[in-house]
Amino acid sequence: MLEFLIENNVVCRAVEAMVFASIACSILGVIISRMNLSSIGFTMSHAAFAGAAIGMFLEINPQVTAIFFSVAVAALIGPVSDKAKMAADATLGVLFAMSMAVAIFLVSYMQYSGRGLSAGSLLFGNVISLYREDIYALAAVSALTIIFVLAFYKEITAIMFNMKIAEASGVRVKLIYYILLFIVAISVSLTLNIVGGLLIFVLLVTPASIASQFCFNVRSMFVAAPLVALSISAFGVWAGFEYTLPIAPLVALLLTSAFGVSVLVSFKRRINYKKY
Amino acid sequence: MSIIELEGIYTAYEGGDKPVIRGLSLSVKSGEYVVIGGPNSAGKTTLLESINGLVRITHGTASVCGLDLRCYGNEVRRKVGYVVQNFYFDPFTPFTVEEVVMMGRYGKMGLLKRPSRSDREAAFEAIRLLGIEDLASKTIGTLSGGQQQKTMIAHNIAKEPEVLMLDEPFSNLDFNAREYLQGVFKSVAKKGTPVLLVSHAFDGLPDIRIHLVVMNKGRITYDGVCDAGEVESIIRKESGGGLRCSSF
Repeated sequence: MLEFLIENNVVCRAVEAMVFASIACSILGVIISRMNLSSIGFTMSHAAFAGAAIGMFLEINPQVTAIFFSVAVAALIGPVSDKAKMAADATLGVLFAMSMAVAIFLVSYMQYSGRGLSAGSLLFGNVISLYREDIYALAAVSALTIIFVLAFYKEITAIMFNMKIAEASGVRVKLIYYILLFIVAISVSLTLNIVGGLLIFVLLVTPASIASQFCFNVRSMFVAAPLVALSISAFGVWAGFEYTLPIAPLVALLLTSAFGVSVLVSFKRRINYKKY
Repeated sequence: MSIIELEGIYTAYEGGDKPVIRGLSLSVKSGEYVVIGGPNSAGKTTLLESINGLVRITHGTASVCGLDLRCYGNEVRRKVGYVVQNFYFDPFTPFTVEEVVMMGRYGKMGLLKRPSRSDREAAFEAIRLLGIEDLASKTIGTLSGGQQQKTMIAHNIAKEPEVLMLDEPFSNLDFNAREYLQGVFKSVAKKGTPVLLVSHAFDGLPDIRIHLVVMNKGRITYDGVCDAGEVESIIRKESGGGLRCSSF
């Protein structure tokens, strides 16, 4: 898609992957951060990790099993929270531990049995070994995320404001919540190849946190977060290739540094003494 | 005509060892101004949440706006305005008063629909009615408790509800604001929308006939019509003097 800008195929795919992953994850990040559900990033990334490990164990496409397993975990979050009368955050913690246990069990088992699985690519991602189909899938999930936000913008903002008040107003809270979980599950599974299970949290939470330092309304957060994410990650990919550095951790460090700077320079917490 | 018709209802929270509301029957007609009083833990908030379909009714029959509550909870919530008790919005809540008031209509609009001109007009009318026009562009988290309270009342009035329920709406308000709001609620009731008010502050009640409901331990101990001036004394009497302050 960006071949007209970047001649090198590998670099081009890496930039495209980072750009699409950044758009999807950062938009979803704006929603989940405001709903205090940031731990969903942890849980989904580890569910995808466990799903990929299952795929490798069964010798089928790990990306497909990653998607299935994360969607299954996403489908469990709501009903388990409702049934157990627990906060969604606590359920996420339980499912996170379960996913991690499944992943570690399978990886260890395969190593003991001599099948020699390295979990490195799942944990840290590998942005330079992507196929064209991976890029199309990421583009599709970015488009799906944007369509979801545009179509249900009013319901999403009402839920972000206050879930109980939204429910009392007759907003279809559960429907939107389940669609959100489903899209997060797919986005995270597809992004696992790029930044890995451990760093995906950075793409989900950090851009939204940076945007929240400067934006006074949700509309601008939905625009600022993906812009921040895609510009920093595109720069990270370029710097990674230029100076032969590991790309995913570099992007994570750049985003975290940007967050630190944004906290320092944010004008939102300043008191305007001129008004007194 | 009864807008709310509850017959022998029981409600319980999951995991609770006994029902919070026990065998309660209540009928509310259009245009009534209903004051619900009683001591703490009497079940007043649970009653409002039951009417709004937020708490499950385990036994009995309940119909609100002609809809069976047990089957049409979400549809009922679209027709009922409910100002919840105790909310807090942090200073960085990224929503303006105007946006919050407009959100009151979102449930009613339905999925995939954008706010129309009439929705915007209804929201602005509610803002004007509550006298918070000058706050419309401010973010809700930067407002005082009383201003947030008024915003949430406007949020529910913008909905043009068929029933308006308010749980402790005066908790952050001074006397003048309370009196002003009582006038607003009276005008809502005059248009035929029943108003159900849970409160411990009875000063400034409008000078109209009040449908008074006193609750204690999940049951109704008094259900009748009285003048505004009699409300406090009846609640004291029916609550077993529980509201009286002991001498120091």
